[in-house]
Amino acid sequence: MLKIFQRLWQVNWAEQWQYRANLIMYLLYWLVSPIIYLAVWTSIAQSKGSVSGLTANDFTTYYMTLLIVDQITSNIVIHTFAYKVQDGSLSGELVRPIHPMLTNALVNNIAFKILTIMGFVPIWTVLYFLFKPEFSSVTVTGILLAIPAMLLGFLVGFLLSAAITSLAFWTTRVYSIHEFYYALSLLFSGQFVPLTLMPKLIQDIAQFLPFQLLLYFPIQLILGKLSSAQITQGYVIGIIWLIVAITVFNWVWRNGVKRYSAVGA
Amino acid sequence: MNTLKLLSAFLKVNIQMSLAYRADTIVNILLNLMWLGWELLSLGIIFNNTDTIGGWDFGELIGLLGVFRLVHTLMIALIWPNTEKFNQSIRDGSMDYTLLQPINSMFLVTFSRITVWRAWDLILAAILIVVGLNMSGDTTTAVDILTFILLTISGAIVIYSLWIVLIALTFWFTKFDNNVTILQALLDAGRYPVTVYPVWLRILVTFVIPIAVATTVPLQGLRGDLTPIRVLMFVGIGVVSFLIASQVWKRGLKQYSGASS
Repeated sequence: MLKIFQRLWQVNWAEQWQYRANLIMYLLYWLVSPIIYLAVWTSIAQSKGSVSGLTANDFTTYYMTLLIVDQITSNIVIHTFAYKVQDGSLSGELVRPIHPMLTNALVNNIAFKILTIMGFVPIWTVLYFLFKPEFSSVTVTGILLAIPAMLLGFLVGFLLSAAITSLAFWTTRVYSIHEFYYALSLLFSGQFVPLTLMPKLIQDIAQFLPFQLLLYFPIQLILGKLSSAQITQGYVIGIIWLIVAITVFNWVWRNGVKRYSAVGA
Repeated sequence: MNTLKLLSAFLKVNIQMSLAYRADTIVNILLNLMWLGWELLSLGIIFNNTDTIGGWDFGELIGLLGVFRLVHTLMIALIWPNTEKFNQSIRDGSMDYTLLQPINSMFLVTFSRITVWRAWDLILAAILIVVGLNMSGDTTTAVDILTFILLTISGAIVIYSLWIVLIALTFWFTKFDNNVTILQALLDAGRYPVTVYPVWLRILVTFVIPIAVATTVPLQGLRGDLTPIRVLMFVGIGVVSFLIASQVWKRGLKQYSGASS
C-alpha cells in the first residue's frame, strides 16, 4: 500500500510541477479577496477605534492567519475530478484495484497543496511586512491544538467536496451545485468576516455546520481566542461531521459508480 | 455600418447558441441572483458595524456595486468567452482564418462570442446604481450624470484596451494562456472604493491593472469629487490606452506565424 502511495505521489507531483507557472496565477487569484476584506475591515476599525471589540490588529492577524489555514484546509477536487466522469477518462482508473478518489485524487490534492505552499511562503512574508500584524496572542499550545483541527477540517472538506464532485455521475451541472456549496461556505466559514460580526442567526447556525471547521475554528485556535469549552465543542462537532462526511461520500460514490457508463463505450 | 451589421449577426448567433442550453441559462440566472443576495448581505454586515467606509455611505456602496457589476459583466460576457476562443485559435492555428476575413481582426477576435443572457445583468446594475444613489440622498445634477456616463464608458475602454494588450502578448509568448487571469483576480478590488485600500494596493489597482478607473472613478464623478480637469484626464487615459492597445495588436499580428506552418 505504501508503495502505491509513493508511486502515486511521484506521478502527481510531476504532473503538478508541469503547471507551476499557472500556480502563481492561481495564488494571486486566491489571495486577493482575503486581502481586500483585510483592508476594508482594518480601515473601519481604524476610523472607529474598534468594531464590536475587535481592533485593527485583530482583523489583520485574523486574515493573515486565514491565508495560512485556507491554504492547508482547502481542496481542488471539483476541478481535477469532475471532468474525468464527464469525458470518460475515469474508466482507466476504475479498473485499478485502488480507490480513484481516496488515493489518486487525494494525493494529487496534496501535491498541489505543497507546491502552492512553496509559492505562498514568500508572498506571505511580503504581506507580513506590508501589514505588520502583531501575533502576541498566539501560543505554542494554540498552534498544537490547531494542527489536528486543520487536518480534521481538510478531511471533512475533502470528503464533502468529493461527494459533491461525485454527483457528476448523475448530472452535468455539478459545477453549478458546487458554486452553491461555495457560496454557503463564504457565508458560514468565516471567510468574509470573523463569525462574531455576523448576524446572530448566522452565527448560531454556523457553529453546527462543517464550514467553520475549515477556517474559523482553526484560526481562532491559533489566535488563542477560544475557551476550553468552545474547543471541546469544536472538536466534537468536527468528529461528528467527519463521520457524516465519510458516510455521505461512501453512499454517493457507491451508487454513482453503479450508474457510470463511460462515454464512448 | 458594416460593423453594426456584423455585431447584430454575432448577437443572433450567440442567442441561438444560448437557446440550445435553456436549462443551463436558468440555472445560471438563479446563481447570479444568489450572488447578488450575497453581495447585498455582505454590504449589510459591513454597514451594521459602521456608517461609512473610506468616506462612502451605504447607498453609495450599492451604487458602486452596480458599477462593479457593469465591469464584471464585461468580463464574463465578453472577455472570458472570447479569450478562450482566441487562445484556442492560437494553439490550433485557426487564427489564420480569422485573419483572412476582410474586417478588422481586433474587432472580430473580441466580439465574436457574447454570453447574451448576461444582458439582464446590465439592467440589474442600472437598478442598483439608481437605487443606491437615491438611498444616499446625494443631489445629482445633469452634469454629474453626464460625467458619470462619460467616465463609465472611458473606464470600460481602459479595461478593454488592457485586455487587448494582454491577449496580444500571446503572439509573442504562445504558452501564455493565463493571459486574463490577472485581470479577473484583481477585479474583486472594484467592489469597494479604493480610498479604503493601503497605498500600494491603491497604486496597483489604479495604475498597473486599472480596475479602479472603471469602478471607483465613475462614481467619484457622480458624487462630484472630481475637478473638470481630472475628468478630462481620465477620458484622455481612455482614448490613449485604446490607441496604444491597437498599436500593440498590430505589432503582435506581425509576430504571428501560424501554428501549422
